[in-house]
Amino acid sequence: MIESDAPVTLDDSGDTVPTDWTPAALSDDIPAASAAPGQLGAHDLAIWRSASGRIAAWADRCPHRGMRLSHGFVRGERLSCIYHGWGYGEGGRCVRIPAHPELAPPEAIRVPVFSAAEASGVIWVAEDAPDSPPPEFPGLAAFRSLQVAAAPEAVAAALGGTGTVIEATLAGLSVVALIQPLRDGAAGLHLLAPEDSDPAALDALSAAVEALRRRVEAAEEAAA
Amino acid sequence: MTREEFTIEGALGTPLFLPWVERHAARLGVGMRLRDSAPERLAVEFEGAPALLDAMEMGCLLGPIDAWVETVVRKRIPGA
Amino acid sequence: MSELGAMRDQWYPVAMTKQLTAQGRDTLLMGAPIRVFADDGGTPKVTDGAGRALPVIDRFGHVWTSLGQPEKDLFTIPEVDQPGRRLVDVGVCRVRCSPLRAVENFLDIAHFPFVHTDILGSEPHTEVERYEVEIRDDVDEVWATKVKFFQPQAAKSAEGGITTDYMYRVCAPTCSVLYKTCPPKPEEWDVIALFVQPLTETLCDVWPYMALYDDDAEMTDLIHFQQMIFVQDRSVLENQLPALLPLDPGREIPTRADMTSIAYRRWLKRHGFTYGAQLVAA
Repeated sequence: MIESDAPVTLDDSGDTVPTDWTPAALSDDIPAASAAPGQLGAHDLAIWRSASGRIAAWADRCPHRGMRLSHGFVRGERLSCIYHGWGYGEGGRCVRIPAHPELAPPEAIRVPVFSAAEASGVIWVAEDAPDSPPPEFPGLAAFRSLQVAAAPEAVAAALGGTGTVIEATLAGLSVVALIQPLRDGAAGLHLLAPEDSDPAALDALSAAVEALRRRVEAAEEAAA
Repeated sequence: MTREEFTIEGALGTPLFLPWVERHAARLGVGMRLRDSAPERLAVEFEGAPALLDAMEMGCLLGPIDAWVETVVRKRIPGA
Repeated sequence: MSELGAMRDQWYPVAMTKQLTAQGRDTLLMGAPIRVFADDGGTPKVTDGAGRALPVIDRFGHVWTSLGQPEKDLFTIPEVDQPGRRLVDVGVCRVRCSPLRAVENFLDIAHFPFVHTDILGSEPHTEVERYEVEIRDDVDEVWATKVKFFQPQAAKSAEGGITTDYMYRVCAPTCSVLYKTCPPKPEEWDVIALFVQPLTETLCDVWPYMALYDDDAEMTDLIHFQQMIFVQDRSVLENQLPALLPLDPGREIPTRADMTSIAYRRWLKRHGFTYGAQLVAA
């Protein structure tokens, strides 16, 4: 089902269709052996990286007693729930129930799994397995993510574009902004900047995007 | 693998109870075969690891909200 | 008020007796504003939003009240009257969770190695051995007995770990008492109670209370220890989905280690104690 607030883009015929991937976080924000909460439409996600560096996005709920898996801990290639230590591996399959160490958990006990892939330092997620990988942005590097308390469309418009991927000029830099719809009418803004930007230019970019956030939020508040 | 017959007794008079048990068995990866079904009594054969049969009992004891399970009696089926 | 159901006529803790003032404490009981205060004679009083007096019991260091008409007296904890025990009012811990989830967590031992790491449990000692659970019809309480779990540091004075014995009782919809091995006095049990005040269906004030044979520890250390344990629990309790306690486990996987939880939920279901509960799996 297509969520009404799903990101949209234009297809060849000019119609709006859902994009295959949604930007959810920056690669650097989820280092090896860690987990963090994320969102995809109505779904809460646990986005986590194994010790060897593999990224995954799962439903943020332990099937045992409903604890958020994004609060869990990573050992090796497993994500474990912080409540009772149930461990999950490849494909979300339960591999360990510490209260019953003799039990080999059945294949049936699984955490629902989403697609996750990385490109240009951005973690993208999708509900099904998209046909093509997420977009690369040669010459650009992931810079920072912000949450904006305003509708995705308003954030996109402030950047002079529409949809999920917006090319813009901010503080004199040619950047790409990725817009992620969040719940409660908010948006995630994931920013990519030229790879060779010097620190002073990036400081200016930070200031510019924060000013943009304040402006959009103020406009949203005034309209409410 | 262990095979056991569960006799589930209580106020099960809801058409939702049996499908609920089937769904729960599937979520646990426990094999299931219905032996007998009545509004106050369900006899079901389950097959799985002993800890999973225990888990099946835990689930059945609470069950769906419109059923009340009074007792679950388990009997080992030998030869399995 | 109908959504309160059978829980309306039960007793709930609403303040610590020794903290009462004439000015009082404005708080909530199952969504209803109430005021708890000491009258001119120092006697605890509780009034509802309309100023109507509510029933009051002053017991276990706490003030108890009800929005309805309780048929039964508040439960007793006979051990509290044994000479030599230190009675500890720990204070209040506010948790953004269902009051029923706070009680359920208190009944759980399997989380000790992961939530109270190296204090109440530690890996690899994670196995939950078979224990017994029953609903005692004569007192209408849930009891779990013969519960054993490896505790890495049983007490401040204890060197190394021991297998600790526990018994749990649920004596009211939002109250539980646990009995555990008492290292200085092996023939007795330490008593730790959890009194939960339901503010709303997803917000509660938790008042732990203890009756211990511990002559050595400073009172503030005892209080800080219990508060630390509860702060660790809070990080779990505020992040369980759904926020309400499911009475249908159709989206959960309870195992034998969750037997006390299942018995507690069955008892809630049987009595229609559903404030803070979710009736359909979600």
